[in-house]
Amino acid sequence: MSSTSAPSGPFANIFLRFGFLIVFAAFFALFAVWNPVFVQGGNLMNIVEGSAVLMIVALGMTLIVATGGIDLSIGIALDFGAAFAVVAMKTYGLDWFGAACAGIIGGSLVGLFNAALVVGLRISPFLATLSTFFIGSSVQRIFTNGGGPISHRRMPEEFRNLALGQIAGIPTEAVIAFVLAVLYFLVLERSIWGRRIHAMGMQRSAAVVAGIRVNRILLLCFVLASATCAVGGLIAAANIRMFTPLSGFSYLLDAIAAVFIGAALHPRGRPNIPGTVIGVLFLGMVANGLNLMGLNFNTKDALQGIILLSALALAVAQRKARNG
Amino acid sequence: MQADAQGRRFLLELFGFLPVIIFAGVLVYISFNAPNFVTLRNLELIVMQSLPVVLVCAGLAAVVMAGGDDVVSGGIDLSIPATAVLSAGITAQMLSLGYPLLFCAAAALAASTVVGVLNALLVTRIQMTPLLTTLAMFVAVVGANNVVTASRRINVDHPWIIALRAQDVGGVPLGIVVVALVVAAAFFLLHQTRWGLNLQAAGGSRDAAEISGLNVNRFIDQSFLLAAFTGFICGFFILARGSGSSPGVQDNLMLEMVLATFLGAAFSPRRVVTMWGAVLGALLVAAISIGFKSMGVNLFWTGLIKGSLIVLVVAFSAISQRAR
Amino acid sequence: MGHAAFRLSGIVKDFPGVRALDHASLEVMPGEVHGLVGENGAGKSTVIKVLAGVYQPEAGQIEVDGQRLSPATPLSVHAVGVRFIHQELHLVPHFTVTESVFMGQERTARLGLAKREMRRAAEAFLRDALGLDLPGNRLIRDLGTAERKLVQVARALIDGEAKVVVFDEPTAPLASNEVDIVMEAIARLKAQGIAILYVSHYLSEITEICDRVTVFRQGETVGVFDTITDASAGDLVFAMVGRNITDMFPPKGSRATGRGLEISGLTDGAKFAPLSLSVGEGEIVGIAGLIGSGREEFVDTLYGLRRKTSGHVTFDGSPLHIATAAQAVKAGLVLVPRDRRHDGLVLPMTVTENATLATLEDNATAGIENRKAARTATEAQIQALDIRPPNPDAVTRLLSGGNQQKVVLARWLATSARIFIFDEPTVGVDVGAKAEIYQLIEDLAAKGACIILSSSDPVELQGVCDRIAVMTRGALVGELNAGEITVDDLVAATTGAASLAEIRDAG
Repeated sequence: MSSTSAPSGPFANIFLRFGFLIVFAAFFALFAVWNPVFVQGGNLMNIVEGSAVLMIVALGMTLIVATGGIDLSIGIALDFGAAFAVVAMKTYGLDWFGAACAGIIGGSLVGLFNAALVVGLRISPFLATLSTFFIGSSVQRIFTNGGGPISHRRMPEEFRNLALGQIAGIPTEAVIAFVLAVLYFLVLERSIWGRRIHAMGMQRSAAVVAGIRVNRILLLCFVLASATCAVGGLIAAANIRMFTPLSGFSYLLDAIAAVFIGAALHPRGRPNIPGTVIGVLFLGMVANGLNLMGLNFNTKDALQGIILLSALALAVAQRKARNG
Repeated sequence: MQADAQGRRFLLELFGFLPVIIFAGVLVYISFNAPNFVTLRNLELIVMQSLPVVLVCAGLAAVVMAGGDDVVSGGIDLSIPATAVLSAGITAQMLSLGYPLLFCAAAALAASTVVGVLNALLVTRIQMTPLLTTLAMFVAVVGANNVVTASRRINVDHPWIIALRAQDVGGVPLGIVVVALVVAAAFFLLHQTRWGLNLQAAGGSRDAAEISGLNVNRFIDQSFLLAAFTGFICGFFILARGSGSSPGVQDNLMLEMVLATFLGAAFSPRRVVTMWGAVLGALLVAAISIGFKSMGVNLFWTGLIKGSLIVLVVAFSAISQRAR
Repeated sequence: MGHAAFRLSGIVKDFPGVRALDHASLEVMPGEVHGLVGENGAGKSTVIKVLAGVYQPEAGQIEVDGQRLSPATPLSVHAVGVRFIHQELHLVPHFTVTESVFMGQERTARLGLAKREMRRAAEAFLRDALGLDLPGNRLIRDLGTAERKLVQVARALIDGEAKVVVFDEPTAPLASNEVDIVMEAIARLKAQGIAILYVSHYLSEITEICDRVTVFRQGETVGVFDTITDASAGDLVFAMVGRNITDMFPPKGSRATGRGLEISGLTDGAKFAPLSLSVGEGEIVGIAGLIGSGREEFVDTLYGLRRKTSGHVTFDGSPLHIATAAQAVKAGLVLVPRDRRHDGLVLPMTVTENATLATLEDNATAGIENRKAARTATEAQIQALDIRPPNPDAVTRLLSGGNQQKVVLARWLATSARIFIFDEPTVGVDVGAKAEIYQLIEDLAAKGACIILSSSDPVELQGVCDRIAVMTRGALVGELNAGEITVDDLVAATTGAASLAEIRDAG
């Protein structure tokens, strides 16, 4: 039946199958023509490096969306990760590793809180994580007495290297993001736990009856996602040698967009790691390309928002057309 | 057995009213601890303060009623506050360029309508989820506003706009009169007309509405247009309150809008989002903000309090729903 | 005799690759309740959609009240007074009765809605035309299923223009005492001279309520029976499937009954009183009871979906600790749930994904899936259970009810479960697949599994079970030996028409 409703012809077919990737390529070409610097190796590495934190946050978001929920508090987890690490070093004099652990634990607390609301009180993830966002923002304001940054000039070199170092010539943050992406891929797309996560995300009651421990999975996923975002916070803090309160919020929309672009690219519309990676790289490329165009900040911002919206619309439309 | 069941049901009903009781308790607590809280002057202040939120809540209530109250898959429009800010930004910028107010308002209305139409198209034609669509739209519209205003604060001293704040009509501030009229019209439209009942049917059960020969997508489209319209009006109240447009209002407005609207559902006898419930919710949120402020509670704590309130309200209504 | 209320003749409807209707005909007289039966895929729903104007037939005529409709469209069909009561309720839970009855056809006054007038009209219609006293301001979510059904009927008929009403499986979600409420309403409509087409899987209802019955098989009309003179339920089944009803239930094997499952004093503290029941190895024990008897809640509590407040469960003498479904599955106790599409399957997932969901570890090394192994295992299951289409990658949403049920079963058969609970296993399953499912249950018992069959279908309980536990009003009132009772006895026991002692004495 779909053959009658879907547009036919070779061009339509090609577009339906590869539409989003074509647009990806078109933007790439546009930026390259506009400013040849765009395609130089150094700049491409810039894109990857600049997308690292977003990539890490988007991985956590993919996990939560796969459970059938959404996490509006990932920015808080990122902030907490940065704050705990910076305070651990500055006030308690911990070394870089202790600080990193403190940061990850700090972020995980946010996940635990979310899990308590979602699993314990059975509040819908949207409203629960919105509350967490309110509360977490407020806690940061109280702690920093109004939102001033906490800087730590004498940050250990090893910690700074999380953002600025290189491993085999590749920026450390990109390596961290890549390793996390591979781990997430294995867990979500290739492991039995991923199968369970997808099952509960698609139809929770059926997953329960099938003997899947959905509450435990939800708890683990919220904690894991927040811990992952805290890693993003570590890198952000290392980059600027300070903790800036409420800075994590800026990743939220991009992360959601990346996940849903990725889901739309999946044949069955499932949130998935390769799709999320493509989404993140697309957003990173657009941000970088617009920068190189030399547009003013406001125009760039507006264009970025419009491209984000159009990309989402296109990805969704493509899936709809493909599935008839 | 029968009496038992009735007693149980009564307890459940009571349990569902707990949020209301908690709110009442908090307000009573404030009125004992904050001098002058229960004065006419202060009540007026609360209502004035809540006007922008009331307006966007009315819009959101319409969208939720038409799309269903599941936050992720049902109807939601997070872009209304952005529309409001855009409406304010366009009006302020054009006023500062010397155009007459009506001309500015027409331009703001046109821009708001474009946002509403785009939301409607993306949701009902491309079938993107409303949450995703309007979140992305929020970003794009805020970006557009930053281009319009160049991210600057623009002062507005047009007498008509100042009148919304300063002018009295028979002892009641003009602003309150205008909002009361808008809300009354929206209430009549949504709760007292055939159109409104059909719109609610569309959101209550898509299948039921379609079986009854209703065009569900049309109602969803119209609800987004209505929401954009409330955003348009809200823009003028943002201008009046701050004597001009200033960037960054939208974030807080969005959070308060969601809090107030879903809080309102806990107050409605049927436990669903309604127009007057949303308005009441907006008033209560403003009352609590102002109340704590006049008690001398640190401003940084308000986010914490609001977040906790969402948790309380939603958890209680979730529990009483489930026990049915 | 006058002309028919509606008549379909020579209807042909083709879908790509298949002829769904092959010169089918159907005729219903005014004031007649006319049954339409057939297996799934026989063309019942297609013919309804042709009548509704949703499908345009390749050939054939549609006449309503002597007038030929060409073409029939949803609007033209509605205009001549044909109404459809769909199987699904399609009501808004938080709407009132009045709002639901008038949905999409609200009456307006000069300013806004004529709320009071609508309420009065809705209440009057429900009372006079359908025999139901219901306040117009009650919320739908506070109503029982039968009441909701009648609200749905009222919505279709409130304009007073209805001449033909098509009921599609109206009693599927109802308990048998609720069925009576709907039956009574239909009788009232009949008395008002309305022609009724009654589509149902429940043959006992068909023979009870219908004047005549049309039987479809593979898109053709194979016969029209007069229920008063020449059709029993057995005759209808024979016409539908072309074989005899005795084929439906497999012969019961001899039971080597071990100790098995022992439930003592189990209760959820609310919906059913402490209940004790034992199921020997190789035994099939039925649970009979109306909706509201606590039967569903008992099953849910046993499986860990509801919180138990007291009682304990043992298997072969060792205790089973079941507080969640996951613990139940781990303990070897599995459930084939009553709401298959909601609780049984993850519908967007494939057959393989669903069939291996409980045994993921078996097809994985160190937590990483071996997809080939999962597929091979599923292919074997598909063969063994005759799942159609035989495609391990088919999305389960698109399978028929019987095949979906087989996928649920495949999932549990892959585990080492010893205790199986079947909750309404054949609801929405066609006659052919039903027989296969009964055979599978019998096979499981023959291999020594403990089986609980909870059902609202007395024929099924009597045909499949060894013993039947009867629940009424939240309590287990006793057990009957299936070999010593008739279906009528069982109905009498569940509805409270006769005590168990009376039935045993009579038997």
